[in-house]
Amino acid sequence: MAGIRLVNVNKTFPGNVTVIPGLDLEIKDKEFVILVGPSGCGKSTTLRMIAGLESISSGDLYIGDKRVNDTAPKDRDIAMVFQSYALYPHMSVYNNLAFGLKLRGVPKDEIDKKVKEAAKMLDIEKYLERKPRALSGGQRQRVALGRAMVRSPQVFLLDEPLSNLDAKLRGEMRTSISRLHKSLGVTFVYVTHDQVEAMTMADRIVVMKDGVIQQYDTPKNLYHSPINTFVAGFIGSPRMNLFPAHVSKVKNKIMLKADAYSFDAPASLSALLDGYIDRDVTLGVRPEDIHAEEFYMGLDNTLKINVTVDMAEMMGAELYAYFELAGERMISRIPSRMSVSEKDTLPLAIDLNKIHIFDKETGKSIRV
Amino acid sequence: METRSKRLDILFYIILTLLAVIFIAPVFIVLMNSFKGQFYITDSPFSLPNATTFAGLENYVNGLRKTGFFSAFLYSLFITVCSVLVIVFFTSMAAWYISRVKNVFTRALYYTFVFSMIVPFQMVMFSMSKIANAMHLDNPIGIILIYLGFGAGLSVFLFTGFVSGIPREVEEAAMIDGASPIRLYFSVVFPMMKPISITVAILNAMWIWNDYLLPYLVIGNKYRTIPIAVQYLQGGYGSRDMGALMAMLVLSIVPVVIFYLTCQKYIIKGVVAGAVKG
Repeated sequence: MAGIRLVNVNKTFPGNVTVIPGLDLEIKDKEFVILVGPSGCGKSTTLRMIAGLESISSGDLYIGDKRVNDTAPKDRDIAMVFQSYALYPHMSVYNNLAFGLKLRGVPKDEIDKKVKEAAKMLDIEKYLERKPRALSGGQRQRVALGRAMVRSPQVFLLDEPLSNLDAKLRGEMRTSISRLHKSLGVTFVYVTHDQVEAMTMADRIVVMKDGVIQQYDTPKNLYHSPINTFVAGFIGSPRMNLFPAHVSKVKNKIMLKADAYSFDAPASLSALLDGYIDRDVTLGVRPEDIHAEEFYMGLDNTLKINVTVDMAEMMGAELYAYFELAGERMISRIPSRMSVSEKDTLPLAIDLNKIHIFDKETGKSIRV
Repeated sequence: METRSKRLDILFYIILTLLAVIFIAPVFIVLMNSFKGQFYITDSPFSLPNATTFAGLENYVNGLRKTGFFSAFLYSLFITVCSVLVIVFFTSMAAWYISRVKNVFTRALYYTFVFSMIVPFQMVMFSMSKIANAMHLDNPIGIILIYLGFGAGLSVFLFTGFVSGIPREVEEAAMIDGASPIRLYFSVVFPMMKPISITVAILNAMWIWNDYLLPYLVIGNKYRTIPIAVQYLQGGYGSRDMGALMAMLVLSIVPVVIFYLTCQKYIIKGVVAGAVKG
């Protein structure tokens, strides 16, 4: 049983640089948790503190029920996979996998059995005698995973393991890692800046910014109910459109005005907007909720707008149409069968049932 | 443009060829004269041996007999091999520490090592030989310690440059795998330093093998290394056996040339790695 608990964990580097001001995080046993955030948000530092490669300035870290602040990395029963693979270049693949077991005094025949099992599982059996330099990026990454696997640790820590791979291989490795998590049944903590990895693999995602957790939730909840404008803008590709609007009350009805368009606030949000009368808010709408098809044009609860397309990007199955609204650059994701090009005037329908409203000052969702 | 760069290339080739000739000439003259009769060496030092001047291996036989070459060879070999091993072992560890632990102490230590490279030997040789005598280092084992001191500057500099280029993550992976610092050093770090270790070994081996002044000052006549043994061929009152001298010089050059030729690719690799990443 190895859940991980960080209680008010602080990391301050020499020179009084605080990277993590005070982090509280609970990861359940066997859970796959992914830490995401922009560069410098403290996600790798958090992972390294869990690994014991970085000291904790204050606060407590528990793996299972044991407080491990002062426990050496080797005694934390963890394994780590690094972005650069960090294989031992002078050792064969076999010895790379066996090294950790040898150090722990595991009998030779047992080492052999475990190494071969892991190699089979990761499909690297035929490379066991090769040196890492004779392997491709994907094979090296599998060796790195194998090295972590053979020790059967309670916790797997993965620091941007797929960043150095090309797009196709990354897709394949994502599936391999998810499968590995299911078959091993241990806790996975994974750091990435790639939200596709986060959305596809995680049970729960931690979105971090400046060392502070912005939201910790399932991929679905993060996508559909972002807690603030940062999460709204960070999760989803292309990012959520955010634009300013003004709230007013006309004849007992709460109205929103964005650019030249006035419309009734959606019924589900009206009550929440009561405190925002005569104030500015930020509206958020996902690119896929701005439609160009006729079916949506006929619906009731949409805001119909006419825009001039700045740029159209053909993505294959869909087309990204860029335009400006209320001074902000917006994107709509429309079917690629529509022929849209630059400078075209395009009628669009924003699905008002799907809009998000954020407090302009704090950036927080008004639902919170 | 192309013809101009071609002309420049040709010019460089000529200059480099001339430089190569200038450097190889003394070695060639020594080799050539080692096969000539004594009289002809001083009479016509730059002419090739011919039917009259050729003396066969006479000079070599004479030289080996007069110098006690084999015992000198063994002393040289012992001192060089042991010094190089000690230098590689200790300076690689020091460099690993300096490059991984960043604080005022390690920075000061690093600059001390680098500074030691620019202190001329002649400046310290007398006080050093006095201290060496006082500490009873005036024997083939003691001199190894002194060579460690003199070899440390360049070696630490080269090792530090190289270690800085080794990804830290490899060491961290080993720590998580369960390696203690000592195990980490011997099983992971040191094997990764192989190219630079060979460079450091070669550079040190060459100067220690050829060194005359330090063994002369510290262990003197008691334990003759090759350069000292060869020097004793210059007898008193201007009498000197030039033939034997030339022959012994050739014998002392041969090991170091073979050593250099077999390892030269590592020298360039290592020096460049150290220079770029330092």
